[in-house]
Formats: sequence, C-alpha cells, structure tokens
Amino acid sequence: MNPPRHILITGASRGLGRALAEHYVERGDAVVGCSRGPATLEHPQYSHVAADVTDEAAVQRLCDQVRERCGGLDVLLNNAGVGRMLPVALTPLATARRLVDVNFLGTFLLTHAAVRLLRHSPAGRIVNFTSIAVPLRLEGEAIYAAAKSAVETFTRVVAKELGPLGITCNAVGPSPIRTDLLRNVPEEKLQALIDRQAIRTWAEPQDVINIVDFFLKPESRHVTGQVLYLGGLG
Amino acid sequence: MDRHQIEDVVVSAIRIINQGRTPEHQLAESADAALYGAGSPLDSLGLVALLIEVEEGLREEGLAISLSDERAVSQKHSPFRSVPALVDYIAGRLGNPA
Repeated sequence: MNPPRHILITGASRGLGRALAEHYVERGDAVVGCSRGPATLEHPQYSHVAADVTDEAAVQRLCDQVRERCGGLDVLLNNAGVGRMLPVALTPLATARRLVDVNFLGTFLLTHAAVRLLRHSPAGRIVNFTSIAVPLRLEGEAIYAAAKSAVETFTRVVAKELGPLGITCNAVGPSPIRTDLLRNVPEEKLQALIDRQAIRTWAEPQDVINIVDFFLKPESRHVTGQVLYLGGLG
Repeated sequence: MDRHQIEDVVVSAIRIINQGRTPEHQLAESADAALYGAGSPLDSLGLVALLIEVEEGLREEGLAISLSDERAVSQKHSPFRSVPALVDYIAGRLGNPA
C-alpha cells in the first residue's frame, strides 16, 4: 500500500470528478475537491472549496486553501469540463468562449497555480482530461474538440517543462460514460459513437479511474506527456 | 520588505536550486549574479524552478506574489536576467521601487 497523498480534483461534485474523489478518499488519500457549487460528498478525508476554474482569483484562493490545509500537493486532476453539441454555424461566440475557458484555460490556470504546490512532492502528478471527440474529429463538437486538442498539446509541452521538477503530466480521454456531460446528447448519436469503438460498450467511471491510478503510481515516473484514450480509439 | 531582504530571499533560492544542479551548472550565489540569458547556465526550465523558490521564500516572509511575466524569457528585457534586476522587479511589484 502506498502512503496517502494530497489530491486536488476539479469538477468534483458530479460525474467522473465525484467518482474520482470517492475512489481516492476510500483509498485513504486526502482529497480537496472544487466545483462551482457546494460539496456532494461527505467524508473525513474530503474537503471542498467552491471555485470556478476560469476565475484566476478564485483559483489562487483555492490553492491558498490547499496550502493551508495540506501544506502541498501530490496530485492535480484537471477534471472540470463542459460540453456542448452544436454545429459551428450555430454556435454563439459566448458559448465557444465558455467551452475554451473551462476546458482549456481552466486547465492552464490550475496547472499554473498548482506547480507551486507540487514541487516538493516525491511523485508530483498532473492528469488532464481530454475526449475521444479529438481523434474522432466529431461533427457537432468542433469547439469542444478544439479545446480538448489544446489540452492534449498543453499536456505534452507541460510534461517537458515540469519534468525537471519531477512532475509528470498526462491526459486520459474517456469514451462515453453516462454522466451529466452527455445528458443533452441524443441516445442514437451516442450509440453511433460507441459503435465506432474497438470496445463497443459504455465505459464506467472505474475504467477511467484505472488509467488515472496508473498515471499516479510512483512506478510511472517515466510516463509523461502521454494521452491515453479508452475504447480503442486514437 | 527592503531591497536587502529581497536580495537575501533571492540568493537563498539560488542556494536551494544549486543543491539539485550538477557542479558544472551551478549558479553564482551572489548579489550581482547573472540569472537568465548570456553568461548564465540557467535555461528557461531552470528559471521556473528558481522563481518558484523565490516565490516560496517571499511567502515565508508573508508576501504572496506570483512572478509571472510575459517578458520572463526575453534576452534583453527579462526582469529575471540578473539578481539586481530580479530584486528591482520584486521591489516594484511590492510597491517599493528601488
């Protein structure tokens, strides 16, 4: 059993983020979760900070609280994200901007602030979240996929910049999971998507947790700058 | 915080990152040392490590500032090109221009 770690998870109140938080507190890690709303998880190992990942001052306050409560961080999981299925010709600028702000700039802001907290960890880890919308060049998700492409490139470059500090940075691209992110996508579209996978079944949060666990292992110290998709895509 | 105290924080940070650097890549631990650019063994990635240590040293003195600047790795205008330039920059950020 590895020693407990200090883990910060964004978008921790719902879906995958909530499942990750539950998994790591049960393992004995100390988890700080953030979301725009209140906590949905009660556990002695869990604390929650309400913060919007697109708000620089809120992100700084979040990291200040992590520093006060934990002293530092071992893991940052940049899970917060928003999706919208809209053809480019029908996408308002405000929607496009929000997709880029949350999915990409939120990842940047958290990484920028958390590097300061991760630097003394014996096994500093950042895991970003991309999407199979990138390798599938998914029609109807141009802005979302472009923002996630940015996350992938960011992941690869950050891996090089933070390697000398002993921090790895990787990304996981889940195949469709039944979470709020997909609640507005028609069922037949999702089924068509799953039919394009090598593994033609819905993924479960546990499938993503398995990948994140792998990235977080101390033995994965040479695994960095990698993007791993579920479902046999990519 | 006066200029001399800021200088102490910067030189202490250099001392800390030197512990993780090879003998041929050591930085001068002095108040007039070159940091980033010609004449210094510090590359842009090493600069990140140094500035994070400086931020931490300032935080321990009760001053929370982020040393993010778009001129960071400019060869001519980097505020991080030398210890005196960095001290001036921090003093300016603290509203205490040198």
